[in-house]
Amino acid sequence: MSSCRPVTDVQSGYDKPKVALVMKSLANEFFQTMAEGAKKHQTAHAADYELIVNGIKNETDLAEQVALVDQMIAQGVQALVIAPADSKALITVLKRAKDSGVLVINIDNKLDADTLKQAGLQIPFVGPDNRDGAKRVGEVLAKKLQSGDEVAILEGVTTAFNSQQRKSGFEDAMRAAGMKIVSVQSGEWEMEKASTVAAGLLTANPGLKALLCANDNMALGAAAAVQSAQKTAQVQIVGFDNISALKPLLADGRVLATADQHGDQLAVFGIEAALKALKDKTVPSDVQTPVDVVTK
Amino acid sequence: MLRRFTDYLILLAVLVAMVLLFGLLRDTFWSFATLGNIANRIPALALVATGMTLVMITGGIDLSVGSLLGFCGAVVGVAMVDLQLGLFTALLLSLALGGVLGGGTGFVSVKFRLPSFIVSLGMLEMVRGLAYKLTESKTKYIGAAIEPLGAPFGGLVISPAFVVSVLVVIAGQVLLSNTALGRHFIAIGANREAALVSGVPVDRPRILAHALLGALTGLAAVFHCSRLGSADPNAGVGFELSAIAAVVVGGTSLMGGRGSVVKSFLGVLIIATLEAGLVQLGASDPDKRIVTGAVIIAAVLADTWRRKS
Repeated sequence: MSSCRPVTDVQSGYDKPKVALVMKSLANEFFQTMAEGAKKHQTAHAADYELIVNGIKNETDLAEQVALVDQMIAQGVQALVIAPADSKALITVLKRAKDSGVLVINIDNKLDADTLKQAGLQIPFVGPDNRDGAKRVGEVLAKKLQSGDEVAILEGVTTAFNSQQRKSGFEDAMRAAGMKIVSVQSGEWEMEKASTVAAGLLTANPGLKALLCANDNMALGAAAAVQSAQKTAQVQIVGFDNISALKPLLADGRVLATADQHGDQLAVFGIEAALKALKDKTVPSDVQTPVDVVTK
Repeated sequence: MLRRFTDYLILLAVLVAMVLLFGLLRDTFWSFATLGNIANRIPALALVATGMTLVMITGGIDLSVGSLLGFCGAVVGVAMVDLQLGLFTALLLSLALGGVLGGGTGFVSVKFRLPSFIVSLGMLEMVRGLAYKLTESKTKYIGAAIEPLGAPFGGLVISPAFVVSVLVVIAGQVLLSNTALGRHFIAIGANREAALVSGVPVDRPRILAHALLGALTGLAAVFHCSRLGSADPNAGVGFELSAIAAVVVGGTSLMGGRGSVVKSFLGVLIIATLEAGLVQLGASDPDKRIVTGAVIIAAVLADTWRRKS
């Protein structure tokens, strides 16, 4: 690929690398927080790199995210930090990015290992162990329940790796404590959808004691459903992400616990890994970032 | 004739003005890479906009094309990954199923005198459900067997998909301007009763327009999969609106009877260029949506004013 004009931006200096951050929906507070964290980091390190932040309209609009990656290649970025909207379908374009010499770092949603292998691609993942985080949230919940209690899981978009991981983590904790998982359904990461699904679950399973939600948006939806079913005292809810909208619910106990994977730092961890690799001219490896359980 | 020519010129002028503006604002915009980006992201939209133009000229509309894109893609994924069929067989399957389902929307709407708006709305739901069912809501990675279709070839920046979509646009325009069927489309859309009285077949061309749109959506699904290297059951959510927007920006009337496939293609280019430019300028997502929406309204307003004056 060639450019009609030189790519180097004179005002910003010649050696400063351009890093592109490609996110999922910036309408989702979690990704907004991530982007804000990255922007703050760039402001503090303005001499070290230039940052271009982009997100897509709709979490399932893969074609738009592919187009964004292509755009970033065209803009001549040196590194691309991406939260892929799908664990498989972004691999084709990321291969294109790597072939054009762009350093690619995967954050948030881990790319499917088998598909990467099939495509002959190695992309480092910088992020938390979602399965372990969800398991620890599940363990906090298990202490409030009794063995044999009925619980249900609200997973995210089923194609997403971190949804699968969180679901597995919840299942690990529930099985270890002897709970009965009566249903696993997708709330597609969304509040509205989760609320509808949760309402259905509460009706179908009158004895339900807990809803384990793979993100906080869905926990908010589940809480609304529990409230309108007047079962706040009976049904415990846990989430994942620790978004600020959940704070009041954690405070009054409508939601028991969530996991904080330091959302504002997730993109920053990826950017730091990218900058380090660019500077040292090394191939970065996977980095595991911390997850904390939050109960208030 | 002169008026038609001015219409093209105005759309082209808008396109050129946008390219100039974005190029002045961002030095990476005038590059072969950007050209390739725009060219290679539009084939699916160009195909569907072509079919949509024909349907809208007859006075119909099809809201199910986004779901149909997802479903036909799912068929391609299952055919190539689970059944290990070749790309060509998968493509034929996708074209055929798209044609049948699109034609089905047309058939029900024409034969039972229901608005195609409503019938296709029902189809939108059904076909999306089928797509989820077929793939068990999971993305299927197809990989190298389909990727070359959507990737630059022969040392150029454009993909085979782009070349095919341009050929389809030309064929669509020829069908519309130079064949009896095309003239029937226009006559039906302009005034169905008058067409009927003057002996123009009314039902069959309308069903055929829907079937053509369906088949083109099937082809679009293959190109969409080639870009992702995967079949995604969520593909095409909201796609019908992008297609209708492009067609309307190109000056095709929602009331039927007037329109041009080539101008719809210019509409597709204008919207794609606008999106690419806004991304390179670093516009935030809300800003992008506001600007894109405003451009659509401005384009339609301009078209209406020109027609009145």
